[in-house]
Amino acid sequence: MTQQYQGLRQFWARHKFKLNGLVLILPFWFLYQSLNLQFPPALPKAQLGPYAVTAMPLSEDGPYAHHGEWVKDYYLQWCAGCVEKIRQGFLLVSDNEPDLASLSRDHSSLLHGNKHGLHVHARTPQQLKAGDKLWLIIEDWQGQVYSHHWVL
Amino acid sequence: MKISQKLWFQLHGWCSLPVWLIFTAVCLTGTIAVLSHELTWLFNENARALNPQNLPAKPVAELVAAVQQAEPTAAVTSVMVLEPYLVTAVLFTTETMPAAIAYVNPYTGVVQEINPGINFITFMRSLHGWLLFPWQHSYSVGYYLVSAMSLLMLGALITGLIIYKRFWQSFTAPKLRLHQGKKTVLADLHRLAGVWSLWFLLLMSLTGLWYLVQAVLWHNEVEFSYEVAPLSSLYVPAPVADGDALQKVPAMIPLAQAVASAQQFLPELKPAFVAMPEHPRDYYRISGYGDSIWFDQYSYNVWINPWTGEVADTRVPAQMGALETLMSVADPLHYGTIGGLWTKAIWFVFGLLVSGMAITGFMIWGSRTIRGAAGREARERVETAMTAPQQIPTLSRTTDSSAGASQ
Repeated sequence: MTQQYQGLRQFWARHKFKLNGLVLILPFWFLYQSLNLQFPPALPKAQLGPYAVTAMPLSEDGPYAHHGEWVKDYYLQWCAGCVEKIRQGFLLVSDNEPDLASLSRDHSSLLHGNKHGLHVHARTPQQLKAGDKLWLIIEDWQGQVYSHHWVL
Repeated sequence: MKISQKLWFQLHGWCSLPVWLIFTAVCLTGTIAVLSHELTWLFNENARALNPQNLPAKPVAELVAAVQQAEPTAAVTSVMVLEPYLVTAVLFTTETMPAAIAYVNPYTGVVQEINPGINFITFMRSLHGWLLFPWQHSYSVGYYLVSAMSLLMLGALITGLIIYKRFWQSFTAPKLRLHQGKKTVLADLHRLAGVWSLWFLLLMSLTGLWYLVQAVLWHNEVEFSYEVAPLSSLYVPAPVADGDALQKVPAMIPLAQAVASAQQFLPELKPAFVAMPEHPRDYYRISGYGDSIWFDQYSYNVWINPWTGEVADTRVPAQMGALETLMSVADPLHYGTIGGLWTKAIWFVFGLLVSGMAITGFMIWGSRTIRGAAGREARERVETAMTAPQQIPTLSRTTDSSAGASQ
């Protein structure tokens, strides 16, 4: 143990400035990564009434804590001119179809963004269980409600 | 227990030497970041808000309209009003550009450049703030690394003051001996810059310390900044069951009306950041500076209901708690924006001084260590020679060389 500690100390004493230099190379790598973003594959395209959508998770990572709940981020690419026609929409993991009326009382899992695409912090359990599905539920300005789910 | 001068000196070295390169890089990038707006003005003529006819600044809504005209498919997300000599940045997305910035002359309304996303200002701020380490939602290792430098800076400051006896004499009788060798010049420069930068080092350490606390709070999901609750669904126009879907989409109030309502409600508000609603239950957010120079551009806020034009909520420094206040004053103090260009210039000069101190400190340590190592090596060779009789004839040469090394 002591020998290992001594070895580490010697290594640090001898190479600390080189390690500093290595850390400073990392920003170049991160810059390259940020300019060449890679996303996971999109989920199968869905049709909700007249609205076609492609949902894509923004990372391979599991859910993370956000405003007191576990969420996972998705980007939703809608058919041209469709976003303007949607009054409200939610994306979240649930075993049963969520109730729009209760969802609309809160802002958890609410779709947001602009006409070119919507983003969502979708409520997702830390550990998925059998039967969990990813639900997308929308209401358009005519009051029509549509939903779709993907099996996880 | 009395700590010897030698130990204080060692502590002073331990505060910055192990991470010397990173520390110096953070100091240098911060120094450049202070003047990133002005450097952009200098090197990019499209970023300059030339105003030869001395026109008044146009309302934000007119600048947004100019962008819509230049990029008909643009969805504007936010607007940033910068210094009077810089263009206004209108952020938008299109199908091909997920995060573009239009540089709009605030006096003429001319769109001078469409930038596809990254620019020098955001690059320098990100490089200085977190060394471009990626954000894992609520934290970035780089943000921790950079903000932890504040502890080292504070440690170096305190130990430096203890080592340097009667440091205050540097204010009344500054000492810079240019003709007594390199080591003396370096040491005098290091001490002189340190004493004259005391206020700056303290300010950077304390604001940096706040960034470290903020990082921990963010990481642990402790909410200390004000979050406005989304609009109740009751405010959102109800769906209309018949007719063509697109024709039934209700219209939000125009941006110009939202800004006017905000300024009427909060006359001291000088809009610097305007965010568009991101969904039907969202607001127009009009943020800016107010009547205090100490607070940043997000400190005075009015949220406008996009359907009725009513003021939904407001937040000003007088309503802020302690942590929120710290968050709002940290940036102006850290980047020296409190007094505009002049304070930024002062911060830049002192940033250079502190970066120079990091470099001279390393050079002083290097010269002492190399000399010390040379002396040690020479002593070891003498000792070896003394214990090995057959090597006695080489002793004189060895001692000669050790004497030379220590000079």
